[in-house]
Amino acid sequence: MSQELNMPLIRLLVVKDWQLFQKQLAALVLAGIVALALLGLAKPWSFYLGSLLLIVVLVAAACFAIGTSLLTERKEQTLAFVMSLPVSPLDMTVSKLAGNLITFGVPFLVLLLGTLLVILGTPLPDGLLTMAILLFGHVLLAYCLSLTVAMQVESEGWNLFVMITSMVLINPFIMLLGQIDSIREPARGNDIVWSTPALAILAAQILLSLAALGYILWRHRRRAAFY
Amino acid sequence: MQSPTPGAPQGAPTDTRVHALDHLRALAMLMGVVFHAALAYSPLVQPIWPGADRQNWWGVDAAIWLPHLIRMPLFFLVAGFFTAWLLAQRGGAGLARQRVRRILLPFLLAWPLVHVATSFSTQWAMQYVDHPAPLLVLFRQLMAMPDPPSLPLSTGHLWFLYYLLLFSLLLWGARSLDWDRFLGKWLDAGPAVVSLSLPLLLWPGFMLTGAPHPAPEGLLPQFWAMLIYGPFFALGLGLHGRLHWLAPLQRCFWPGVLLCLGLYALFLLRLAEGATLTSTPWWWAAIEALIAGWGSLLALLAGLRWMQHANALMRYLAASSYWTYLWHLPILLTLQYLLMDHNWAWPLKFALCLSATLAICLLSYEWLVRRTALRRYVG
Amino acid sequence: MTAAFAVSGLCKRYPQFELKDLNLSLPEGTVMGLVGVNGAGKTTLLRLLTGIAAPDAGQVEVLGRRLPEAQVAAKRDIGFASEDMRLYRSQSLDWHMQLMRQIYPAWDESYAQHLIQRFDLNPAQALAGFSHGQRVKALLMLCLARRPRLLLLDEPTTGLDPVARMEVLESLADVLRDDQRSVLFSSHNTHDVEQLADSIAFLHRGQLIAHADKESFLDNWRRLLCLGQAPGNLKAWPELAQVRAAGSQIEIKVRAWREDLPQRLDAIGLSVQRADPMTLEDIFVTTVRAGGVA
Repeated sequence: MSQELNMPLIRLLVVKDWQLFQKQLAALVLAGIVALALLGLAKPWSFYLGSLLLIVVLVAAACFAIGTSLLTERKEQTLAFVMSLPVSPLDMTVSKLAGNLITFGVPFLVLLLGTLLVILGTPLPDGLLTMAILLFGHVLLAYCLSLTVAMQVESEGWNLFVMITSMVLINPFIMLLGQIDSIREPARGNDIVWSTPALAILAAQILLSLAALGYILWRHRRRAAFY
Repeated sequence: MQSPTPGAPQGAPTDTRVHALDHLRALAMLMGVVFHAALAYSPLVQPIWPGADRQNWWGVDAAIWLPHLIRMPLFFLVAGFFTAWLLAQRGGAGLARQRVRRILLPFLLAWPLVHVATSFSTQWAMQYVDHPAPLLVLFRQLMAMPDPPSLPLSTGHLWFLYYLLLFSLLLWGARSLDWDRFLGKWLDAGPAVVSLSLPLLLWPGFMLTGAPHPAPEGLLPQFWAMLIYGPFFALGLGLHGRLHWLAPLQRCFWPGVLLCLGLYALFLLRLAEGATLTSTPWWWAAIEALIAGWGSLLALLAGLRWMQHANALMRYLAASSYWTYLWHLPILLTLQYLLMDHNWAWPLKFALCLSATLAICLLSYEWLVRRTALRRYVG
Repeated sequence: MTAAFAVSGLCKRYPQFELKDLNLSLPEGTVMGLVGVNGAGKTTLLRLLTGIAAPDAGQVEVLGRRLPEAQVAAKRDIGFASEDMRLYRSQSLDWHMQLMRQIYPAWDESYAQHLIQRFDLNPAQALAGFSHGQRVKALLMLCLARRPRLLLLDEPTTGLDPVARMEVLESLADVLRDDQRSVLFSSHNTHDVEQLADSIAFLHRGQLIAHADKESFLDNWRRLLCLGQAPGNLKAWPELAQVRAAGSQIEIKVRAWREDLPQRLDAIGLSVQRADPMTLEDIFVTTVRAGGVA
């Protein structure tokens, strides 16, 4: 059943979701700027605090983006209102996907760029770049998985579980990276090294993320109606 | 810059006061060119300015640090005003588009070009100049080492664009969270309260950095720069629609000028003992905060009083000031490097560098910007 | 006359509930009241009519379009407001109106302003501060002001205070003056249905147990009080819905009244003392209890 996408309405829905998320995004952006300024102080305590705050901002962006656009809509029953507008289920899916990717993607990319600049532009060893990118890759994968679950499953409990679990797994993931010699050793030096394990992990992260998003589109493509 | 010049969008106020502010901003920019030209002959910055000349004079130091304390605060003050003006005219989305067009894009394009031009001419100077500045000597020694350290990336003199973008982002965030009402409350407290509280707000920022305060060139935002320039930007935002609020301050103009000059004398007395690098004693920082805060307000008053009637020259300088400031530094440094080996009197060198830089910038503006598509971006 | 909507053989299965073999249609320019208890299937039917839900069997056609395939086009001309629908609490009514303006080209701004005044709503206030009645009215306003050809309202007056209820009914009556617009509204408040509807449908446990125009209902049903002894086979008479002893009298509820009925009852020993018309509420409850199709 091929359906045409109602692009003007999808854009409206994305703008609507953006407006609903704007206050939270503003708070996250401000926190992100404070985090970057803390990194700029170039003291050990401020570096630790700044990078911690950055990770918090990243994870918060993921959770709030999904929470506002999907979970809260269901809970506050505004979803019924949107369904009464001239949208097809595919339109809704596309707008939710696009809206979420934008509201999370913008802070994600900005923080990624900022981190890369910090590593490359300051006395920090450039070899850290590999680990940093793999970390961001993990956050991206966790986000895509949480988004997939949120679009399929209505239970708020399960959604929270998937989000928290996938984000908490950052710690074991970092430890895992530290176990791999070809990733740990170059991190101390100024050479950026992409060893085979590192490339494999990154490729897996990207492919799985795309697969998760693709799955959502495939599942929802075949739906004729919302119920 | 974004200014109500002829051909300005519909709805641009014909209010001459707005023109005065535009000219003030241009003056602040041009003063930057003069400042950087003079730095070559300042004994204080001799160790760190790449274009430092063999000749220098204490009088230069006595003269330049006062404009240094005022020009960038004044710039951000006026920038804040025009941001609020744009916001009122075009709304949030329009402001965002304008920021991208006139600040982000020029920044992204000019930054690498300036960086390349400056490194190129500096490397030439390191190799060929017989009487190099101490910093060039240091560079030479570092380059001669087996594993030369790489210089951290910096925004150079374009840091003001970076911070303008940062402040615009902070403004968006503050408006989204409904915090801009606090600004209105601050200004509604009256000129006296604001004039007295402004130096207090600046004080921590001046304490957190060296004196005289450097350019915040780092890629990461610096707290001290946000604490110093942020209040000026905010004040400018609040002054939009409230310019009449400045009227009672006009009475204090000449006493204020005298007070600032007196404070500056104190500043210089301390400066004679040497500059500070990473933090400044509280009392010296207080003097700086007072000079910066009140000096900028006084400059604003002066501009509103005397620059309301535009002439063609002022308008031209105002329109070209952005372009000039963007490119002046590599050009100026190159000229300073070229004149390093000559034995002419330093005032002559200074005048030559300054006029040549301005000439090149204005000519390039005339040919490349004034009548072309670039005008929308940097004209 | 074209049908505002027509469903035939409609089936929808849920784990605990099933909508069975529904056949219903609404001529354009008329009003239908859908009466049923909670859980009868009113909301399900309305969702099927907007294309939000897809039927397991049967056909749904709304404004000449098959659903759910053409739901996007259909929903442009449908105004659907249901009881489980909420607006965005953090935003104002102005924000919602702006959204509507951008989506529906037929948005009537002056009518919207008129309704805002009439419903006494504050468009600049965040919806979190609205009372239940104000929210219902806001939702209704957003529906009405886009001038839909078909209005589907799920329990529009439920939970409203008497003043708000009257305002809603009056504005619905205004809509109905336009011959081109059709309304289907569900309610378990039969008084509202009696007031506004041209035709009435009873829904119970997923089945349509009665459907006729209002006059037919009111004309065909009577409540009789009789004296005498009721014979055992009286309940088998098809035109009688309910026979009950009420003290010394026999109360008979008649679903198909004819003028000769008192005579026939007299012939079997029941003398009719009173024959009163029944309220819609009474008719509905009796129909449900009788369990048959009227």
